[in-house]
Amino acid sequence: MNRRRLVLPRLAWRNVRRQWRRSLLTGTAMALGVAALVFARTLGDGAHEDWIDSGVRMGSGHLAVQDPEYRASRKLEDRISAADLEAVSVALEAPDIEPYVERVTPRLEVIGLANSPTTAVPVMIMGVDPVAEGAFSQLGVEQRLVEGRYLEPGDRLHVYVGKRLAERLDLELGSRLVLSAQDVMGDIAGQLVRVVGIFQTGVPESDEGIVHIPLATAQQWMGVEGDITTLAILLNSAWEVPRVLRSVRARVGAATDGVAVLGWREAMPELDAAIKLDDFWGYVFNIVLFVIVALAIVNTILMSVLYRTREFGVLRALGLTKRETATVVFTEGLLLTGLAGIIGLGLGFGLVWLLFRNGLDYSGAIENDFTFSGVVLDTLVIPVFRWVQVVMSLGSIIAVGVVASLYPAYRATKIDVAEAMKFEA
Amino acid sequence: MSKQPAVHTEDVWKVFEHDGIAVEAVRGVTMDIQPGEFVVMAGPSGSGKTTLLNLLGGLTRPSRGKVWIDGNDLTEMSERQLAQLRLQRVGFVFQAYNLLPVLTALENAEFSLLLRGMPDAERHRLVKALFEKIGIAGLENRRPAKLSGGQQQRVAVARAVVGEPALVLADEPTANLDTATSVALLDVMTKLNQEMGTTFVFATHDQRLMERAQRLIRLVDGAIETDDRRSAPAAQ
Repeated sequence: MNRRRLVLPRLAWRNVRRQWRRSLLTGTAMALGVAALVFARTLGDGAHEDWIDSGVRMGSGHLAVQDPEYRASRKLEDRISAADLEAVSVALEAPDIEPYVERVTPRLEVIGLANSPTTAVPVMIMGVDPVAEGAFSQLGVEQRLVEGRYLEPGDRLHVYVGKRLAERLDLELGSRLVLSAQDVMGDIAGQLVRVVGIFQTGVPESDEGIVHIPLATAQQWMGVEGDITTLAILLNSAWEVPRVLRSVRARVGAATDGVAVLGWREAMPELDAAIKLDDFWGYVFNIVLFVIVALAIVNTILMSVLYRTREFGVLRALGLTKRETATVVFTEGLLLTGLAGIIGLGLGFGLVWLLFRNGLDYSGAIENDFTFSGVVLDTLVIPVFRWVQVVMSLGSIIAVGVVASLYPAYRATKIDVAEAMKFEA
Repeated sequence: MSKQPAVHTEDVWKVFEHDGIAVEAVRGVTMDIQPGEFVVMAGPSGSGKTTLLNLLGGLTRPSRGKVWIDGNDLTEMSERQLAQLRLQRVGFVFQAYNLLPVLTALENAEFSLLLRGMPDAERHRLVKALFEKIGIAGLENRRPAKLSGGQQQRVAVARAVVGEPALVLADEPTANLDTATSVALLDVMTKLNQEMGTTFVFATHDQRLMERAQRLIRLVDGAIETDDRRSAPAAQ
């Protein structure tokens, strides 16, 4: 019985080889389809990682530890106490969390006004630890620093402002401005600070709407010494978020009284939606691609079945069952797609590695900074290679092969043996 | 005690529908064919020879009536059982040879044995011995495209008889062959009939084949007109 089963794939393979021109053409179309898929996935994943990385650095990290009400209220009363912050810091040192954590930065964020003698602009005032925040948001790096410097340890009444805000308030290095916000008691409090640096991210909302001041200054000014509103956590990779988020939630939940841990998707729903939208169009592209590939397979295998009507009649006359006849046809489709899939994977990964391993630079296609969801997109996309891409690409093409081979296989079972003998190819 | 017939039919009819018109291709055929017989069914085109052959081989089902092969009622069998019966009990030789182009001569000839699960060595031994017997030794590894018409038809005969079926059905086996090749092929089949006791049933127009028939059944308009039993077939 095993020999009987073995003869079917052997027949199928020889039939694939027999119509080699047709197999080659179809296989090439499929391989190019898979290569295009690999191309889109590696660069698409790379772009998404970049978006997420930019987004989480400028935003509240891969993980944000906050009071459960803070995201909605943005009020100081919904803050994390110094005691809870200490408990969270201890939890982050756990062996299932600590290896995945790249950076942590505490922030005290309040909505307020930046006032000049002539005008006032609403801003998000962020009290930050200069060292931790500098490495986290990279707002002080050379590419973003327009003039002056970022905050440093020891700074007290200093502020780091965006270029647009500086222009609106007519500020320059050393200029003084007054920040005002509602303190913990509900009173409007003012704080005089001096500009030590001006940055430009390219995101208008950030360049006009964010100011950094030292955390200790903010805590003292707002009357919440030791407390923060957000502990932003940056992980080694966005891929680790679901697993680490579970661990942090479990440990922080046990160590504190109702402190919330949000993943970046919850904390930055606009960025999440943007990536999902981009993924959606990617899937649409893939579906169109695979429908074309499927039609090519159906065409090739169906033509082959019709061309070999008499041959299938002979197989049936010799004792093959309908199911076995269908198996031969089905196996032909699978062999063709499997081989084309493997070649397409090699081609796709090979070409991406060869041409774009150092990044695909599309800056020439864009005149100004490309931003959305408060994120400046890097015009150099570094492709990302993952095993899941191999599995998904190969799985997709084989699934297409399976579906596309079903109809020709079905048609092969419908051949009338006596009529097939009269068939002239 | 009489032997069980290789073929028994009882009032077999086959009616085809063409554009709403019923065409009676086979009309009430009742006959027995004994094991080892060398039977030729002759008749003009459209007399129902090929349809009757297809009915005997279980390739098509009768509109009414019964067909037994080696005691098995084909009309009661499922598609799967019919496939199994064709594999075990029936060999076919077609006018157009119908070898599988992707297989070598040896692989074509051993195909039914392979489907039966016979071990490699035994299959090869049987096929090679048969190739020797029918004069195509040395051609085992050639694909059909590299064989002449006569050689292809001998491979087809080898494929039909190698499994020692109860019945070999041959539809116009010499129609595409020249005279010398036809005679040689008929010699081969006559020899196999005599030496192996294989039952042959032919559908043909070929006068040379009719002359060799042990039994000549003439069909006209789908019905048996005459059924003449003669002496044993002779190789020429």
